[in-house]
Amino acid sequence: MPVFKTPFNGYSVKFSPFYESRLAVATAQNFGILGNGRIHVLDLSPTAPTLSQLVSFDTADGVYDLSWSESHDSLLVAATADGSVKIYDTALPPTANPIRSLHEHTREVHSTDYNPTRRDSFLTASWDDTIKLWTVDRPTSVRTFKEHAYCVYNAAWNPRHSDVFCSASGDCTLRIWDVREAGSTMIIPAHEFEILACDWNKYDDCVIASASVDKSIKLWDVRNYRVPITVLNGHGYAVRRVKFSPHRRNVLASCSYDMTVCLWDFMVEDALVARYDHHTEFAVGVDMSVLVEGLLASTGWDELVYVWQQGMDPRAV
Amino acid sequence: MSMDSKPQQPANSPPKPWERAGATSGPTPFKPPSAGNTSDVVESSGTANPGEIVSTSDRTTTVNRNALGRPLPTRSWEQSYGTTNYGGYGSTMNYNSGIGSGMNGSYGGFGGGLYGGGMYGNSMYRGGYGGLYGSSGVYGGGMYNGGFGGPMGGYGMGMGGSYGVQDPNNPYGDPSPPPGFWISVLRVLQGVVNFFGRISILIDQNTQAFHMFMTALLQLFDRSGLLYGELARFVLRLLGIRSKPRKVHPPGPNGRPLPGPNNMQNLLEGPKAAPSESWDNVWGNDAGK
Repeated sequence: MPVFKTPFNGYSVKFSPFYESRLAVATAQNFGILGNGRIHVLDLSPTAPTLSQLVSFDTADGVYDLSWSESHDSLLVAATADGSVKIYDTALPPTANPIRSLHEHTREVHSTDYNPTRRDSFLTASWDDTIKLWTVDRPTSVRTFKEHAYCVYNAAWNPRHSDVFCSASGDCTLRIWDVREAGSTMIIPAHEFEILACDWNKYDDCVIASASVDKSIKLWDVRNYRVPITVLNGHGYAVRRVKFSPHRRNVLASCSYDMTVCLWDFMVEDALVARYDHHTEFAVGVDMSVLVEGLLASTGWDELVYVWQQGMDPRAV
Repeated sequence: MSMDSKPQQPANSPPKPWERAGATSGPTPFKPPSAGNTSDVVESSGTANPGEIVSTSDRTTTVNRNALGRPLPTRSWEQSYGTTNYGGYGSTMNYNSGIGSGMNGSYGGFGGGLYGGGMYGNSMYRGGYGGLYGSSGVYGGGMYNGGFGGPMGGYGMGMGGSYGVQDPNNPYGDPSPPPGFWISVLRVLQGVVNFFGRISILIDQNTQAFHMFMTALLQLFDRSGLLYGELARFVLRLLGIRSKPRKVHPPGPNGRPLPGPNNMQNLLEGPKAAPSESWDNVWGNDAGK
């Protein structure tokens, strides 16, 4: 299965929503603690199992996350450690990039998510405790959501409601927001420890998954959020990212500081479908292709990017 | 869709698989989506606040609104001035007394240890090392009480005093604007602060991350010179690892055992030669963007 070696430590990997063979990788030097960063845009070869680099962009600080535009096939939004949000046009050479650099967050930006339904806006979640909503046509954020009492690690749009998103924070809460409301519409005290990631079920817009430092993934129904639908145990350390399958209602992928990537089916008793231990350092980025069912990608601090088909061994040549 | 068939720009991404699926599991608590683009929707709702910069004081307010009533993790990079580390201010002002301030561990660790006795007073300014090694105040001064959140408080204060202009007893003080060298040092310290801000986050996420910091640190210091050597020793000391062999190792924050220092000692003995190039380049922002 294709592997790509990055010079810096991987932080995030995302499949393009336009091209089934394209993906982007966010990396940061020295484990993201300090140093530079680089964004790689990679293409899967149609003939051989190899990943080749289309273009790369250097940044002065680590890149923690990125998201592809849903309205322009070449645009990328990058969340960087210096608090800036940068927009890249991958069709342009590195010297002409970034096409925009937005400086409003006062601390590291930890995640970004592009609105998949309205397709003209994106969210950024930052260690300055806020979430910001941006549109591609404006140089400043449209509004700022400040209610979390600690770092916001993740924010994710609802896949069916273009005004609704959820956020995961170190204040141990999951919050649901509507961009038309002044405050959050729901506060779920989801875990006893910091929550690092959240995602919406793509086929049931009331179901959220939250991933926490307490090593668990919990699934919540926003209509009855007093108790989780289910708790997925199996990771040995903090769960860093969680992602619902774009194709299968009950399937989600997660990656963790225990260096594994796990696939889950939350409706069956033995929820752990697969455990991939191909990374030799923290696995911090995972994505599932929206265009090819079962195609997975992961990256980690071992500076490797893997792309593989579900059921295969990522390391198989 | 194949790569070759580039859609016209702008063009939306292909429909999502779930959009082709039927409706979801019954009524939802969400208001139906509004028509129009995001900017218009937000503006017509009256919640728009373009370009808002959230200051620290705003964030303090949000802490008070914390619905959970749960104690929140310490935010290392903005520790308030009113904490136990405040004592660091006094010792920083006396930075020229070298060992003395370092030994006054009751002042609260960081200020006394790094800026007072260690980095500033001796190693950096006067060229000696006594203070750094003598700064047992780092251990005695409540470093571990504050955990990793602690040291940054000292930073803010240390900055105030570190030019030395306000100190009437300062024999080295120069009231004129600080030279480029100090700007560079401060920039490096800023980097250290960023470093700790991120370290504390990662430690919050997983204490296992410890060995990664060690690796990252050593890689960094490997490429640089004296100052980094000093910082390395200081940082390792904060983490409870001594660069000189001792029989008893202090426990880590919250009594956690720390990774053994033995495999690291040899790497840390003795400072390296100072780099010849300008300090301005030490953080390597060459990428420019």
